[in-house]
Amino acid sequence: MGWRIGLFLWISATMIVAFLKAPLVATLEETTRVLYFHIPSAWLTVVALGWSMLHSVLYLWKRDLRHDDQAAAAAELGLLFCLAATVSGALWAKAMWGAYWNWDPRETSIFFLLLLYTAYLALRGSIEGDEKRARLSAIYSVLAFVAVPFLIFVVPRMYATLHPDPIINDRGKVDMDPLIRWCFTAMLLGFTGLFFWLQSLRVRVSRLERRAQLARG
Amino acid sequence: MPDAGSNSTAALWAILRKECRSEWRTRYGLNAALLFAVASLTAVSFAAGRLGNRTDLLSALLWIVLLFATLASMSHAFVREVEGHTMLLLRLVASPAEIATGKLLFNVLFLLVVEVVTVPLFLVLMGAPPVRWGVFLAVLGLGTVSLAAASTLVGAMIAQTRGRGALFAGISLPLLLPVLAAAVAGTREMWAAHAVAPSLRLLAAYAVALLAASLLLYDHLWED
Repeated sequence: MGWRIGLFLWISATMIVAFLKAPLVATLEETTRVLYFHIPSAWLTVVALGWSMLHSVLYLWKRDLRHDDQAAAAAELGLLFCLAATVSGALWAKAMWGAYWNWDPRETSIFFLLLLYTAYLALRGSIEGDEKRARLSAIYSVLAFVAVPFLIFVVPRMYATLHPDPIINDRGKVDMDPLIRWCFTAMLLGFTGLFFWLQSLRVRVSRLERRAQLARG
Repeated sequence: MPDAGSNSTAALWAILRKECRSEWRTRYGLNAALLFAVASLTAVSFAAGRLGNRTDLLSALLWIVLLFATLASMSHAFVREVEGHTMLLLRLVASPAEIATGKLLFNVLFLLVVEVVTVPLFLVLMGAPPVRWGVFLAVLGLGTVSLAAASTLVGAMIAQTRGRGALFAGISLPLLLPVLAAAVAGTREMWAAHAVAPSLRLLAAYAVALLAASLLLYDHLWED
């Protein structure tokens, strides 16, 4: 219980500092603050995908349905954060680039992830039987793992992007005001904590659902 | 099992021959795929007219037609077995990897046949400028292998779900998008007389990655 209150206070405090104290980046101006939501969401989209794929591989290896619960929960949360990143990104793009959507390589990548998550969940929804659902969706997940690097890393590098590079850039260092960097890192940690908390809740729900199903016979 | 290597080659060959023979017997799948490809080609050509020098549009439209042909036909090889109740028998005589690889080879062959009809027709109907055949065939070949590799595995999965045909397009699309991006880029550069090597490398890398993953995953496809 204690750590959940801690997480709430941590995120709230960071948000207050980020909005009231942290300076604005010259070219980004007021839109600077999207940084504290957009990038952690995008980060969690990738973390959730990795987590889901890791547990898919573990399922194929160990055949333990608990891994499937983890994979499914992470995919659902990943879709949620992916939507958050896409919408906040589109709003920011409207303010900075003048259009909600223009198929910038970053937009292409996030849209691709959105497609992947929905396809994975649609596939899950169409299979009867726990074991079969777990096995086939794990296969799909591993196959998607092959496709992701190609779109996320290769395509944006092949075409020029206008997207700012605050974390990963060619110079290999972070060019950020110390306070912005502090808030940003705190948000990243806070969001990650939030993700793993939601994840544990979702997994518990799946476990209870399965137990209820067994009890019903 | 003594001499497992030649045995599985023989099984692969037997499955490929069996696929070709049962396809040839009805030609239902091939006719449907060809008709569909020509129909989407006609729709594109009718709606866009002769594009002539707009090679950027031509390469995009060509690959959209081929993508549609893939989405319309590639789940057929597995769905046919399930609907004919022959899947169990097939699994008795061959391992999952042999079945899936055999069907993959058949799907590559199938797509090539569709392309032999569709691609020349596309070039003529759209009034495309002359192509550099060596490079063009390399892009087409690698693109075909990648399309088939991704959609064969998804087809095997989709045959075991409730939706079958309806879901296939939505579920294989994310895996086919990298192929589409690289193949369109390659075709565009072929017409613009730019270097095609980066796109070809990307297509080849994706095909190899998909095939390697498929070979690892085939064994998990069926179980009971």
